[in-house]
Amino acid sequence: MMKPLLGTAAVAALVAGGAHAAGHLPFNEGEGAFNWDSLAAIADAYNLEGETITMTGPWTGVEKEKVDIVLNYFEEATGATVNYSGSDSFEQDIVISARSGSAPNIAVFPQPGLAADLAKQGFLTPMPEGTADWVKDNFAAGSSWVDLGTYADPDGNDQLYGMFYRVDLKSLVWYSPTAFDEAGYDIPETMEELKELTDQIVEDGGTPWCIGLGSGAATGWPATDWVEDLMLRTQEPAVYDQWVSNEMKFDDPKVVEAIEEFGYFAKNDAYVQGGAQAVATTDFRDSPNGLFAIPPECYMHRQASFIPAFFPEGTAMGDDADFFYFPAYEGKDLGKPVLGAGTLFGITNPSDATNALIEYFKTPIAHELWMAQGGFLTAHAGVNLDNYADESSKAQGEILQNASTFRFDASDLMPSEIGAGAFWTGMVDYVTGASAGDVATAIQERWDSIQ
Amino acid sequence: MDNIAGQKSSLSIVSNLSVLLLVILWLVPTVGLLVSSFRDRDQIGQSGWWASMFPVEQAYRINPEPEGVQQVDGLYVLEGNVFGEGSGSVAAFGIQAREPSAADVGQTYTRFVVDVTEPDGKVDDIKLELAYPAGDAPVFPDVDEDGNKIMAETAQIDRSLTVMGNGDFSYASAKDIKRAPSVYIMAETPPEFTLINYETILGSAGMDRAFINTLTVTIPATIIPILIAAFAAYALAWMDFAGRGFLVAVVVGLLVVPLQLALVPMLTFHNKVGIGQSFLGIWLAHTGFGLPLAIYLLRNYMVGLPRDIIESAKVDGATDFQVFTKIVLPLSFPALASFAIFQFLWTWNDLLVAKVFLPSNSESWVMTVKIADDLLGSRGGDWGILAAAAFVSIAVPLFVFFAMQKYLVRGLLAGSVK
Amino acid sequence: MSPVLQGILTILIGVGGCIAYFYGSNLILDKLIFPARNDDHGRNINRATMVRPWLFLFPALFALSLYLIYPVIGSFIRSLYNRSGDTFIGLGNYVQMFSEDGFRTAFLNNVLWALVVPAAATFFGLLVAQLTDRLRWGNIAKSLIFMPMAISFVGASLIWKFVYANDPDIGIINAVRDYFGMAPIDVLQIPFWNNFFLMVILVWIQTGFAMVILSAALRGIPEETVEAAIIDGANPFQIFFKIKVPQIKGTIVVVWTTITILVLKVFDIVYAMTGGNFATEILPSYMMDFMFRDDGRATAVAFVIMLIVLPVMIWNIRQARSEMR
Repeated sequence: MMKPLLGTAAVAALVAGGAHAAGHLPFNEGEGAFNWDSLAAIADAYNLEGETITMTGPWTGVEKEKVDIVLNYFEEATGATVNYSGSDSFEQDIVISARSGSAPNIAVFPQPGLAADLAKQGFLTPMPEGTADWVKDNFAAGSSWVDLGTYADPDGNDQLYGMFYRVDLKSLVWYSPTAFDEAGYDIPETMEELKELTDQIVEDGGTPWCIGLGSGAATGWPATDWVEDLMLRTQEPAVYDQWVSNEMKFDDPKVVEAIEEFGYFAKNDAYVQGGAQAVATTDFRDSPNGLFAIPPECYMHRQASFIPAFFPEGTAMGDDADFFYFPAYEGKDLGKPVLGAGTLFGITNPSDATNALIEYFKTPIAHELWMAQGGFLTAHAGVNLDNYADESSKAQGEILQNASTFRFDASDLMPSEIGAGAFWTGMVDYVTGASAGDVATAIQERWDSIQ
Repeated sequence: MDNIAGQKSSLSIVSNLSVLLLVILWLVPTVGLLVSSFRDRDQIGQSGWWASMFPVEQAYRINPEPEGVQQVDGLYVLEGNVFGEGSGSVAAFGIQAREPSAADVGQTYTRFVVDVTEPDGKVDDIKLELAYPAGDAPVFPDVDEDGNKIMAETAQIDRSLTVMGNGDFSYASAKDIKRAPSVYIMAETPPEFTLINYETILGSAGMDRAFINTLTVTIPATIIPILIAAFAAYALAWMDFAGRGFLVAVVVGLLVVPLQLALVPMLTFHNKVGIGQSFLGIWLAHTGFGLPLAIYLLRNYMVGLPRDIIESAKVDGATDFQVFTKIVLPLSFPALASFAIFQFLWTWNDLLVAKVFLPSNSESWVMTVKIADDLLGSRGGDWGILAAAAFVSIAVPLFVFFAMQKYLVRGLLAGSVK
Repeated sequence: MSPVLQGILTILIGVGGCIAYFYGSNLILDKLIFPARNDDHGRNINRATMVRPWLFLFPALFALSLYLIYPVIGSFIRSLYNRSGDTFIGLGNYVQMFSEDGFRTAFLNNVLWALVVPAAATFFGLLVAQLTDRLRWGNIAKSLIFMPMAISFVGASLIWKFVYANDPDIGIINAVRDYFGMAPIDVLQIPFWNNFFLMVILVWIQTGFAMVILSAALRGIPEETVEAAIIDGANPFQIFFKIKVPQIKGTIVVVWTTITILVLKVFDIVYAMTGGNFATEILPSYMMDFMFRDDGRATAVAFVIMLIVLPVMIWNIRQARSEMR
């Protein structure tokens, strides 16, 4: 499950300030480390005066402001009008509008699984020809991004339907450097050390973890990230892939082991803030707050790169909050696996102007413009990394690059009934008492029923 | 009736009290929301809304700038006031987030490094933290937690903090103070209320548009079904024709149709006939979905109207249309008014139908969609905003209810409900 | 055009169109098609009387068939097909469903909801209506109790989070427990009883509805019957249960039915409070899990929902029939 990635309050303030200063085009053309040439190329190639492109996606609030700025440069260059509306229930909306024939030109999918569903029903139009080769050549680990955007059409033929734009990093543990300093804790380098540290904190009278699975109707999704991360740390990447495709059944002992590994942290009353019972109902947006309480309610919080948006106001990155890589087992020799997710574009209503916009999103400038606003990681190899807005994004980019294994969020790839349904509720059942085996069996049964 | 007068008064006390109790029970949750809507997210997390009127004792971390550090007796000393330019009253303090109230004001809290002798004679050094009155000498215990003997004469100050009630502090450290040290204090925070949540909601771009859109959806979606239903209800209650019983049964049966069933087929239909996602579409949809209940309620009411009035009018030569508009409609006013309120509330608070039948661009967002999908999307954990949003969206229905209530009651007193 | 003006204009056209239809069609019927004059005088009046009900009913019937009957029939057919909609599987979806634990839980919970919520809301509504009847501040009390009606379900769920939350600094229940030194408890996780905590929310909302309708009915009871009972020496309880309640039985049925129907449509509360976890799933929220994914299953659930209220519906139809005689 992927949730919107938002910049820190500081970045938001920066953008707001910038917007006041420079209107809707905060970065002056020709200045900074941006690839302005690529924008000029788009301006030369297209004249879309009078054309309108509609776009819907899951980005709202601050994120909408950021994507609007990226789109403003396209409008400025080509004369087209792009209307982006963001909705928190985008997943539901896009299905409704696709079925009713009133889909926007471009949909921004937070989950490949959903795009695959729509492609199979014939609601998506394949990417313009040559996009697959372009992605292969221009994205880091390009062919894997092609694979993630390739789905079966209604006739069962594979086509490239999705082009990735933004990458999220999941394997992060957030902590308060001040709290760690005062208590004399070191950043754990291995999973063994992490478990030792967990016990150490309990021994010192503290609570190591804040875990919250609450998310309204999507309650449970943070646990799926945990299980996926632990799956990558206990099994070969190939096993992970089999799990995603259900070649390996969900109730396989290997999966059960990963779930129980999550239970090691989440189902121990001493390890989690509020006790195991609180895990299921604490809202994921509230749960990191424990890091910053005085006295600290917990010391560590495993969550994806977007979570700083929910830190209390005025939290300074680096001083009050920082992150470390969710470590791997030293004893398992599985390298440094990294779990990530991404947002992709799909064409739901083709037009020439839409193709032009897709071309724009292939340019480095379209990526850099958001990078510079913060809260954005990209797999585009042609961008100037100096454009990352802060050290934190840069460091996350490094984790991404140093990863010996990169895997996409499994629940995002599973059919939505599993990855956005049975897996979530199964995890809630698990933390509230059910055994890992029973939960896994129930999820597999659901999977069987849809095949 | 005198004999029951005493009983009556005691009964009236009982009923007054029980109504009061019920009202309080009903009101408590809403008051909680109202109070919370005036507090920011941090305050909501710190104390319950019921405690919001009272000052709370709260822990703070202060990082005083290391300016004017002096060297005294081999220690680096930083002095100042924890409140900076402001003022306040400190209740307790500490040097670690873990124990923000380790010492009382007027005390000195010091971390010593001291040698201990273990039972096997080995000498080791430990950290020992002690609180003692400022200016006094610390009194060391004889043994530490593990039972090792403490050699007090070897004690060296690692860092030491003294805080007075008015916030004056003195921080001493064995090492030079280059970075701002962390000082933890417990201080009373006065109750604080803010309008920031309402500003966020009402000040957000497009809220005025959303408000007008909501009215545009709600008013016709309330009046049209009532009009249509009133005619139909009259026909089903007072006109004779074949298939009447069957139609009544159909209406009652349709009450239970989950409207989720109809969303996608109807939207497809709208697209086919060219209505698409539009205001016309949503009026029709609300009309369709609201009709069974409207007909059901109105018919049940109209059936109970006195038969002789209607029949005598008909005998006098009035047509059904005249009977309906001149007699039945005025008599049914309370029922019409109550249904109008319910239909209004329902369409006002509706999210699902609006999402399906209105275009998903921000131009045609109604308030519920604006709040749910735009404002709350990135602030799901922000209860203050959620609370304010709930109150903003409830304000108009409440106003309508209180405004209509007069007519409602008057109508109810005049008419009679079977 | 400014949005305000546009809004007003659309309102005028919409509502005006409606009025124009009823007025115009009746006029045409009386004046043009079957004018009540010349030779055919009597026959024309009779003919007009035969046509007029359908004139009155037409818009309603049209909207009902289009928006409800057509989707229901279409959906029923759909529920007999498999997931992708290309294979006819008869009652396969229904059979499959009843063999699943998740569905059975949702079904039983739903039956519980359909029994408890209307009963409780009607009871409290009647209680308040009666108690406030002669109260000086009755209208204020009624307004306050009616207030939750104005709150959206999602807003209501939020309100109740401030009551149920696990954190004693947010949830009032746990604050009280904390005060008495008890450990906090998550009431939404208590097996079985958590359903009742969710029902409380809907009762809280719907009592206002029941109260408004029932208090109107109580006011409508002829004074003479009550006075006669008082003279006969009946005590207030006897008056209430023996005289008043039987007279407003019809209204109670209406209120009960309306709330029952609402119960079967509400999924927002469960959706927002627990997401269907902790065995609190009810059929409408269970249906949402399948919406847009497995339409065969989703529509089958809808028909099971309709099945649950069948007894109430039959009762109502009977009642309506007997009134007509």
